Amino acid sequence: MRPRWTGVLALMAIAWLLTLSCGFAQAATSAEFSSATNSIGSAFVAVHSAGQDGGNVSGLVTELNVALNLTQKAQAENATNPTQAATDLQNATTMAEGVSAASSSVAQAGSAARRVTMEISIGAASAIVIAAVLIYALGDRIFRKMWVYVYRNFVVRPASG
Amino acid sequence: MDRETAATALALIALVAVFVALEPIIPTSQTGFSELGILGPNMIIGGYPTNVTQGGAVHLYCYVGNHEGEAAYYQVLVKLGNSATHVSNTTSANAPEIHSYSLILSDNKSSTFPVTLAMNTTGTNLRLIFELWAYNVSTSQFAYTGVWDQLMINVTGGP
Repeated sequence: MRPRWTGVLALMAIAWLLTLSCGFAQAATSAEFSSATNSIGSAFVAVHSAGQDGGNVSGLVTELNVALNLTQKAQAENATNPTQAATDLQNATTMAEGVSAASSSVAQAGSAARRVTMEISIGAASAIVIAAVLIYALGDRIFRKMWVYVYRNFVVRPASG
Repeated sequence: MDRETAATALALIALVAVFVALEPIIPTSQTGFSELGILGPNMIIGGYPTNVTQGGAVHLYCYVGNHEGEAAYYQVLVKLGNSATHVSNTTSANAPEIHSYSLILSDNKSSTFPVTLAMNTTGTNLRLIFELWAYNVSTSQFAYTGVWDQLMINVTGGP
């Protein structure tokens, strides 16, 4: 009788320890939450900077929102499904790091687009000023030459004849 | 048209054309703003719950709009205060935070999302205070924007 009870108790203790250890190993810790939150914060700083450089950050913002939702989902499910919470946090961190990495190329594209816009604007403004000066200086002469060209086949007759 | 009038007209036309050409690169200095709104369970302004039971879920919708001229990382903090809780455009409420929601919005974008809250304390004339915080990229911390909203609510004991 005694060895049988001892065996059952030993098995229960092992099962309890296994459950406990598995739970502790997979539950998301506050450090993991901080890591995900900090990654999202850093990624936002990079996205903000890319936006200031003229980059189109809407795609990056969408990705960061997915990362944020994963973090909030992890917070809600950490007590009931710690394994999934840890996975979500890991995915959120990876996603945020990806956004940070992609931000530099978006910023470069934004800077390039802004430079092109600036060149076009300054070029157009310069062309307008040059055209105005030319019209002022040569407008009369050009107009008279054009008038003569257009009416070259006309015959001028005296009103009396 | 004499020569002087023609020259003046030409100069005016050239000036306007130069301004139009340079408009895309002229920096603007408009003051940005953020929006926060609380909508009822039917996603409209109205139909807000006034009496809820302790532990029971309160379903609302929250609207956040970004017109800051740049992307913004927002946090909506929901706090449970009472008639003595002080909150203003400069001071956030010193009351227990019962929930928070985070979102990032591009410039000129808005979002409406569901908010589900559960109150664990009972009382009358309690205030559900919604505060809008924004991430400051210089300090890497959230700062109170001064935008807030509130709902008056009575929480009674459960069955």
